[in-house]
Amino acid sequence: MASLTFNHLNKQFGSVKAVDNLNFEVKNGEFICLLGPSGCGKSTALRMIAGFEEPSSGDILMDGKSIIALPPNKRPTAMVFQKYTLWPHMTVYKNIAFGLQLRGLEKKVVEDKVHSALDLVGLKGYEKRLPAQLSGGQQQRVAIARALVLEPQILLLDEPFSSLDAHLRVRLREELKSIQRSLGITTIFVTHDQEEALSLADRIAVMSSGQVEQYDSPDIIYAKPSSLFVAGFIGSMTLLEAENKGSELKLGNYTLPSSEIVKGKDVKVALRPEDILLADANGWAAKVSQVMNLGPFYSLVLAIEGLGSVKALFPKTSLLKEHDQINVLPNRYLIYHEDGVEEITL
Amino acid sequence: MTFLRRLAKDPFGIVIFIALFLFIIGPMISVVLWAFSIQWRYPSLLPTEWGLKFWAQTFKRADILQALPLTLMISFIVTIVSAIICLPAAYAFARIKFRGSQFFLLSFLATNAFPRFGLYITIAVIFLKLNLISTILGVVLIQLVNTLLFMIWIPTAAFKGVDKSLEEAALDVGASRFRVFWQITLPQVIPAISAALLLTFVGTFYETQGAILIGLPGIRTMPVLMLSLINNQLVVQYGAILSLTLWIPSLILLLFARRVLSGKTLAAGFGV
Repeated sequence: MASLTFNHLNKQFGSVKAVDNLNFEVKNGEFICLLGPSGCGKSTALRMIAGFEEPSSGDILMDGKSIIALPPNKRPTAMVFQKYTLWPHMTVYKNIAFGLQLRGLEKKVVEDKVHSALDLVGLKGYEKRLPAQLSGGQQQRVAIARALVLEPQILLLDEPFSSLDAHLRVRLREELKSIQRSLGITTIFVTHDQEEALSLADRIAVMSSGQVEQYDSPDIIYAKPSSLFVAGFIGSMTLLEAENKGSELKLGNYTLPSSEIVKGKDVKVALRPEDILLADANGWAAKVSQVMNLGPFYSLVLAIEGLGSVKALFPKTSLLKEHDQINVLPNRYLIYHEDGVEEITL
Repeated sequence: MTFLRRLAKDPFGIVIFIALFLFIIGPMISVVLWAFSIQWRYPSLLPTEWGLKFWAQTFKRADILQALPLTLMISFIVTIVSAIICLPAAYAFARIKFRGSQFFLLSFLATNAFPRFGLYITIAVIFLKLNLISTILGVVLIQLVNTLLFMIWIPTAAFKGVDKSLEEAALDVGASRFRVFWQITLPQVIPAISAALLLTFVGTFYETQGAILIGLPGIRTMPVLMLSLINNQLVVQYGAILSLTLWIPSLILLLFARRVLSGKTLAAGFGV
């Protein structure tokens, strides 16, 4: 177990800045997700920790000591790759034992460790199989066992579940989280799936074009995205144009309370669907233009005159149908202005 | 049976089938018949006397007893030397990005794309000055030229086909670069490399142009000997028996290569 620090880390491929001045810290035992669209530099950052890419400048510290001079085979990290990179000519046992045997451990010790690793990922009895005889999910479990058996200081995962089907992805996600919790291993998980990041991470680093846009707990990232990019990337969000009138905002024919901190004339108001509530006749007049059944909830699209479409989430007991006329009001919203973001709760 | 039935419905197909059969299989049948005949005179359709008499005679001939081990030795040397030169080159082509790598890779086609005899004659002139004519070394060198193409292309394709992340995963668990190559990369390409080795060996075994031009008169390999036996001998059986025997290596190659080699493996070398 170890802590990890990125210190002004840069990586340039030709004229492209893949990673741009990365500066953040991962605490001992923490589960971190690097989240962002493809090409945002999250995988490059991970590969620099593993040693497969050399930083153009900056440093990576593990427990305060720089590791960038170490070749990948000398780093106390273990990586799980996106494709199941099991060695096809080796059995499951040999795949997991390979790294242990390199360390010159006794045969009996290797055997015990391999068995308990397989036990951990729920694949007892699969020792003699070849990778080609396993399903995708099983192969990725073996890859996780192969990484964990070495008891690395830091576990790195590069979109490990992205090629699995949805059900399996959720199951392996839960398994990974419980394994991580029981071992207390510092983990860095790269993904483009915001749901995966929200459900797994202690903290999420949302990345865009090589930079970290926000580094916070999933709760804060969800409740108060620090930029419009993060707001658009995490969860569902309705963005409305508004005019700043000092103590209040003007949205079409309606007004909402504002704060004196809000700067500039044109601002954006961001609304989470679950923060839209039914209101009395003073609320915004809305027409239900679409109803989607999400199981426990209805996801609604509301057409509000002068404002546009607003997404809302109502319990099924609301019994709303398309073309219903209702009144709504937000009880919480974010104002993105020149100097940042302001949260207002009514 | 379904093949014949389908053929019966198509008279044009039958004509082509019979023509092809006669053209390809006909000469082979004739060779086989000659090899097992003692007497076969015009106008009889089949040999008038069968027997293995000439087999014993053929393999008692001093020139054949000398040529067989010599040819095997030369083929072995050429294959091994070719592997030593070409396999590292193939790994470099597959794994190291350098300017003009595609051009160099294609340049090996040059020796196969132009009439080889012209090239050989130029080389023979040089070899004459170096006293390499009619020596084993001379024959080995000239035959190496032929082997470069397959010995580089096939392994290059195979090395390129190995997923880089397999190697990274091995590095990640602590293997040294050398161990990664030895225990991860190499096992994936062994089938393709053995195919290339076999192809090289068999190709060298049958090579005649270079062997004639550089080897004669001192060095006489099996196929060269066979040519002279077919051309200058009154006894047809010697040539027939020899060519039948010389089919064996290519038969082995055919059986093996079908399993290992496909157009895909070769195309992969060019990232197709």
